[in-house]
Amino acid sequence: MVIKLNKNEEILYQALLDADAISIAKNFRSVGLPTRRNESYHYSDLKMLLDNIGQIATTATSTGEFAFNIANSFQLQIVNGEVQILGDKPPSGVVISTSNGGMSEPNKDIIAQLNSALTKETLHIDVSENLETIIQVDRCFEGKAALHNDGVEIYIANNSSATIVEVFDGSSEEHLSNSASKLILGKNAKATHIMVDISSKKTRHLQTVQYEIEQGANLHSLIIHAGSSLARTQLFANFNGENAHADFAGLMLVDADRHSDITIDVAHKVPNTTSTENFKSVVRNQAKAIFQGKILVAKDAQKTDAAMMHQGLMLSDDAQILVKPELEIYADDVICGHGATCGELDENNLFYLMSRGIEREQAKAMLVRAFLAEIFDPITNEDLYDILAGIADDWLKE
Amino acid sequence: MPAVKETIDQVKEIDLEKYKYGFETDIKSDKAPKGLSEDIVRFISAKKDEPEWMLEWRLDAYKRWLTMDEPDWAKLDYPKIDFNDIYFYSAPKSTPGPKSLDEVDPDLLETYKKLGIPLSEQAVLAGVEGAKIAVDAVFDSVSVVTTFREELAKSGIIFCSISEAIKEHPDLIKKYLGSVVPVTDNYYSTLNCAVFTDGSFVYIPKGVRCPMELSTYFRINEKNTGQFERTLIIAEEDTYVSYLEGCTAPMRDENQLHAAVVELVALENAEIKYSTVQNWYPGNKEGVGGIYNFVTKRGDCRGDNSKISWTQVETGSAITWKYPSCILRGDGSRGEFYSIAISNGYQQIDSGTKMIHLGKNTSSKVIAKGIAAGFSDNTYRGLISAHKKAKNARNFTQCDSLLIGDKCGAHTIPYIEAKNSSVIFEHEATTSKISDEQMFYCQQRGLNEEEAVALIVNGFVRDVLQHLPMEFMVETQKLINISLEGSVG
Repeated sequence: MVIKLNKNEEILYQALLDADAISIAKNFRSVGLPTRRNESYHYSDLKMLLDNIGQIATTATSTGEFAFNIANSFQLQIVNGEVQILGDKPPSGVVISTSNGGMSEPNKDIIAQLNSALTKETLHIDVSENLETIIQVDRCFEGKAALHNDGVEIYIANNSSATIVEVFDGSSEEHLSNSASKLILGKNAKATHIMVDISSKKTRHLQTVQYEIEQGANLHSLIIHAGSSLARTQLFANFNGENAHADFAGLMLVDADRHSDITIDVAHKVPNTTSTENFKSVVRNQAKAIFQGKILVAKDAQKTDAAMMHQGLMLSDDAQILVKPELEIYADDVICGHGATCGELDENNLFYLMSRGIEREQAKAMLVRAFLAEIFDPITNEDLYDILAGIADDWLKE
Repeated sequence: MPAVKETIDQVKEIDLEKYKYGFETDIKSDKAPKGLSEDIVRFISAKKDEPEWMLEWRLDAYKRWLTMDEPDWAKLDYPKIDFNDIYFYSAPKSTPGPKSLDEVDPDLLETYKKLGIPLSEQAVLAGVEGAKIAVDAVFDSVSVVTTFREELAKSGIIFCSISEAIKEHPDLIKKYLGSVVPVTDNYYSTLNCAVFTDGSFVYIPKGVRCPMELSTYFRINEKNTGQFERTLIIAEEDTYVSYLEGCTAPMRDENQLHAAVVELVALENAEIKYSTVQNWYPGNKEGVGGIYNFVTKRGDCRGDNSKISWTQVETGSAITWKYPSCILRGDGSRGEFYSIAISNGYQQIDSGTKMIHLGKNTSSKVIAKGIAAGFSDNTYRGLISAHKKAKNARNFTQCDSLLIGDKCGAHTIPYIEAKNSSVIFEHEATTSKISDEQMFYCQQRGLNEEEAVALIVNGFVRDVLQHLPMEFMVETQKLINISLEGSVG
């Protein structure tokens, strides 16, 4: 079956044909960009939202400048889809390499498929030690408005650990970036994986994150949306080994008429795994924040314990928060919960602070910071904590 | 606790009969030819002796239906329904329309007696002394009797079958039918608009508090028939009405279709309480047979400070697709939804509610309890939405699922949409199984395994049970036990 493609879809379809990705092109020809009829895009109809899709980005040289500098970090850059390895030698226990083409075994989702077909080069980071150094990967979208595709595959070997920070940034143009990250955690491996979108307010940012979590592994994942006119991160996590634990967290800071969407799909496939999902959004002006979460507990995944929460804070009357926290459970000996709240700042709290001589605006900022504390508190690296909390502070001051 | 002893006796009793409403009444009936076409729509309308405008309304709906696709978003898996293999109209020959009690075929009366439905106006429900309950009995496609009509008419209340209402109160029908669930609303409701055969109509005039419970009892009897009922309740300003609905069907190997539409209209300060005990035949142990239940129920809180409350106990049907909803249009209006959905065997339930906040200071509360046992799938799907003008909208939702056994599934899919900043929405949901600690605690105090499960389950659904009218409480507790029977361990 083929559908009528619109102008933007034609560009993507042509790009797929040019990249010789015949089967994906065929698939795309029959489904096009996701619409709200696709449940996971229920509130982010990309067919409607994506416009002005440019041509595939051309090569740009590294700017050599990083979005931020964390003490004791190893920095890498992907500029317009091309991996730039700068001067420094990687720390011991880390192997950096690249491969041609996109991510291996991409998710079936059409945006992930587009990414894998159109990505020219994938960055590989293999960690086989308990790494003190933070690895930072900046993905920059430089030059004129264009379509960007890139991929990072991270492998943390058995009994190893690392902190990875991915930053999305670039020139102030109407870019469309379709990025992918895959993180595989070996047995008893530990990782902190932070993704921060501070792209220009014209950029459209799409990211697909895939986690494979093996036995005894421990993951802390954090997504922050603080840029882009349209930001959508979709996260797929698979628990493949027992006694693993993961904390998924996210923060959407959305203003003006921007649109931010975090959609997660966590699959507890084996017994004795636990996870928490803790997401927050703060919206003002005419902004829209969307959280869709799904926890799947497979048939034999007994003793799963999962708790999902989304809390939304609305700072102005025209903002919108749309939430769908979903549970799909096929095992009986599990504890699964989800919660969702939405509301504005409590007048009583504001009054309390103001009665102590704090200006209304400042009192508001204090309450918002308190609301966000849960997201930043688990970050133990002070430098990183300051940088991330600083992003929120800057956003509040705007 | 004496209640537990009773429960266990009920379990034992039920054990022998399983689905005890599964008998068939041998009665001659008058049927339309199989299948669906414009002629069938005309046939039904003619049988009902309907005015021309009603026929036009049906035909428009039919034309519209032909252009629609069957929805597939629900978490339900069933073979495609062949609409040409269904009788869309079937009525007992002897009683082709509602009559007074002494004119009704004795076989039918016997059927309702067996089902425990008091059709005689003197009869009272066991254990509920002095409580009167008016019943509209719908058998396959027609309403066979409506009791207590005179007494209700004294207070100006109209309680009759919808077919009669179309003829006798066309102004009310024209004004309200399809005003809550539009003709084009969804696949099954549009189908219902074209072929609905009977149902109940209730009109409560201004300032009247309905003196008794109103009730409709739906029975599917004939083979290969679909039941398409239509209920319309209008509560004028400053009124109160409590309405109960029950449903059963014989045990058959085939799947029968039931696609109903229920519309409620509550004007200023009116309150409608709508309770359902849905106990259609759920199919046998292997999942053969059972009713496909595709129902559109919606209440419109049109007036300020009006209130609509849905309480449902869903234990029957092979497939349940049902989302009783409230449109909270009037300022200060209130919607409530209390639900117990129990699935066992190969039953599939996809049910929940929609609370649409449009007016200022509206509030809603959702309590949904799902219990899945056997090989069943039980999904809660709900929408809570507050539009721009719905200042200070308030919602509290709690949906809990309980799993009994490791072959079943429980799912929760809530949609929460806040479109202005003054809303306060709280949603919580949990899924768990009966814990070993709970079982141990009960068993250690001398209850056996079955008793312990019954006690814990009854505790789990208590929040909902207490919102059911007294008359339904007893039956519901029995139903909970039927549905869960055999699922221990």
